[in-house]
Amino acid sequence: MKTIIYTCPYVPAEWIAAYGLRPSRVMPAALRSTGPLALTEGLCPYVHSFINEVITDSPQTDTCGVIITTICDQMRRAFDILVRRCNLPAFLMNVPHTWQSVAAQKMYVDELRRLGQFLLRLGGKPPSDDTLTQVMLEYNAARASILAARSHLSARQHAEAIAAFGRDGLANMLNADTSTGIPITGVPLAIVGGPMVRGDLDIFDIVEQSGGQIVLDATETGERGLCPPFDRRRIRDNPLVELAGSYFNGIPDASRRPNSELYNWFKSRLLDRAVRGIIFRRYIWCDTWHAELWRLKEWINLPVLDIDVGGDNEAHQHRAPNRIRSFLETLS
Amino acid sequence: MTEIPRQITLQEWDQRYEQLQRAGLYQPDYGGLLSRHIEDGDTRLSKLRYDNSAAALRLWNFLLTEEDRLHKARAEGKKLVGTMKDLGTIPVMAYSLDNLVAFYPDGAWWIPCVMELNTSLLRIADQLGIDESFCPVRAMLGAFLTGGHFPIPDLLTCSVGATCDDFSAIAQRLNGLGYAILWWEIPHRRHPEPDEAAVKLPGGFRAPKCQIEFVESELQRLKTAIEELAGERLDEKKLAAGIKKANIVRSYLAELRQLTFTAELSPLPALEVLIAEMLAIHFCSDQNETIVVLKGLLEEVKTRVKAGIGFLSPDAARIFWVNPVADLQVMNLLEDCNGRICGTEYLFTHALDIIPQDLPPLEALAQMALADPMAGSSIDRASRICADIRAFGAEALLISRIPGASHCALEGQVIGEIVRDKLDIPVIEIEVPPLTDSMRPTLRNRLEALVEIVLKRRKK
Repeated sequence: MKTIIYTCPYVPAEWIAAYGLRPSRVMPAALRSTGPLALTEGLCPYVHSFINEVITDSPQTDTCGVIITTICDQMRRAFDILVRRCNLPAFLMNVPHTWQSVAAQKMYVDELRRLGQFLLRLGGKPPSDDTLTQVMLEYNAARASILAARSHLSARQHAEAIAAFGRDGLANMLNADTSTGIPITGVPLAIVGGPMVRGDLDIFDIVEQSGGQIVLDATETGERGLCPPFDRRRIRDNPLVELAGSYFNGIPDASRRPNSELYNWFKSRLLDRAVRGIIFRRYIWCDTWHAELWRLKEWINLPVLDIDVGGDNEAHQHRAPNRIRSFLETLS
Repeated sequence: MTEIPRQITLQEWDQRYEQLQRAGLYQPDYGGLLSRHIEDGDTRLSKLRYDNSAAALRLWNFLLTEEDRLHKARAEGKKLVGTMKDLGTIPVMAYSLDNLVAFYPDGAWWIPCVMELNTSLLRIADQLGIDESFCPVRAMLGAFLTGGHFPIPDLLTCSVGATCDDFSAIAQRLNGLGYAILWWEIPHRRHPEPDEAAVKLPGGFRAPKCQIEFVESELQRLKTAIEELAGERLDEKKLAAGIKKANIVRSYLAELRQLTFTAELSPLPALEVLIAEMLAIHFCSDQNETIVVLKGLLEEVKTRVKAGIGFLSPDAARIFWVNPVADLQVMNLLEDCNGRICGTEYLFTHALDIIPQDLPPLEALAQMALADPMAGSSIDRASRICADIRAFGAEALLISRIPGASHCALEGQVIGEIVRDKLDIPVIEIEVPPLTDSMRPTLRNRLEALVEIVLKRRKK
């Protein structure tokens, strides 16, 4: 089956799958300072890794298209690099930063329709409402089971399960033993920030080895990046509108303007899960998340540890575990 | 008799001022000795070199007294609109009503340069978690918190969507500190699909009609807010008149740029051209005076061109400059290296293009907002830069990176590659922080090398 790759959480996998194509959310293997595109001053290491992974890996796979969105300025510009350096058909989807107006919501729906035309050109078939509904319900169930499995998996396993769902869709659903839960023995922490790369999932192990436990993965590639459940009644009325509504209105992010919904989302979950500290993981040069660090510190009455991630720099890699250990020592 | 154009220091300007006074120079109420602005803390002025014309004196005095004008406007009961990021669109709406004054708080990005870091603005931004990894526009945060550089606007708007992340993030930080912001969206300007209704925008880019309609609906929201603030309806007639007036500014600038960039001898230094272009975005808080100032400058340029006098030698390297500099002194440095500006793209070419007057006014403004070079791809931006390089006969491209700006990490590569491919001219990229003193030798080397390459290519 032909694969369409993307990384942004505002790209609905259901829409691609309904066209008979395989959606696959890219989580780059690691942050590397080398590759076809040089890592220049000011370039976000995640954007750099994503571009290089698309350029390097897509020719060796069955990937037939890539979707980029506009929620991040450097990603928006990554599209320019990809269309010039890579033969893979690319689609730039406008995801509005404002979200409170009807016009912004309508634009998102219109962009999904335009994306549909791109998928058609790549061999997809336009879905009937029934097909889309069926796909949405299947993904809904899959997401629900992943979220339910959280208390039965280690934080790392849960993060990997979400990543596998993004990468493989319904093809690789986890079969977690849900009969017993994993007791919370470490200091409950949240991890907050943009998307992670696979190599950085070690951070979950480091936290556990240091006496902590991530109980809320509020990164873009964690549960924050999953859209909320669809409303079955509204799916019947108009599946596309429900799909768009759930993704566009249901995923809180630092890039939204205003981004007050992100803080509302934090508020309820931090309380529910008795979080005692926050690991704020950000890429250097990611202005969107960087600017939220101090705001979060001012807003929340919890200790916040800033982990800036700069690429495959050894000093950076050693610094993070030390800082996490010290942070947890102060919380124990 | 026509004065010989020269670049003079601030100290020399005081003597020149006396000379002009004796000759009967007319001074507007904001006029006076340029050196007096040093007392306001604008210490960088003492390190710049200026055009010696009365028109340039008026330009500088106009620029450096904006803060006073804003306070005066408030004292007179006018309402202030702080328009962030869109660079040139919302002010046209605001100035269509008599009791509104619009300005860009973004302009605070030059304060660290002009006051040579002698303010607390960057320190305040640091304390708010907005450190030097962000664009120097972070100074705006400090300016809001101290209230010492511009009055806090009655209405604050900010365009988002296809904008740089650093500005959007800083504006969100401001919002989080309790400053209400009316956010509005300019989507990424995409290429029309093959079967989609499309429009050619002023400046030459194309956009789908539905995107123009979207921006128009956003401008409608802003219009409502502006009307509420002003207590007055902004009907089509008033808006059309506002557009017409904005076009006077733009047409003066178009002529000024054309003459300056193409004359055999450069008739106006790079620094004054930069300041003049900036007037287009919000008229330095006085639209009528902007027209007078630009008219004077244009007359001076015409006189010089006609007399065949100007700056530098006729063989000066003709450079096209992309992005504004955080340190104004670098514009002088280019001339020290025997380079002259022949074309600019300071991120707001859409504020220089003529606004269509044969369209419903709000639709015309929507077109202008979408014509923003930063709203589209760097590939489109490069195409326009290529067209302008050809039109003005520039021989090299200089891309000036803004430290920390999200767009600078990738756009330079794309623009540079396209310009090299299409035009086969030398391209360099430099980074200009708010104060370049410590890196001046390096910058000078880079500029001299560029000029040298241009001159060498001529001999081939």
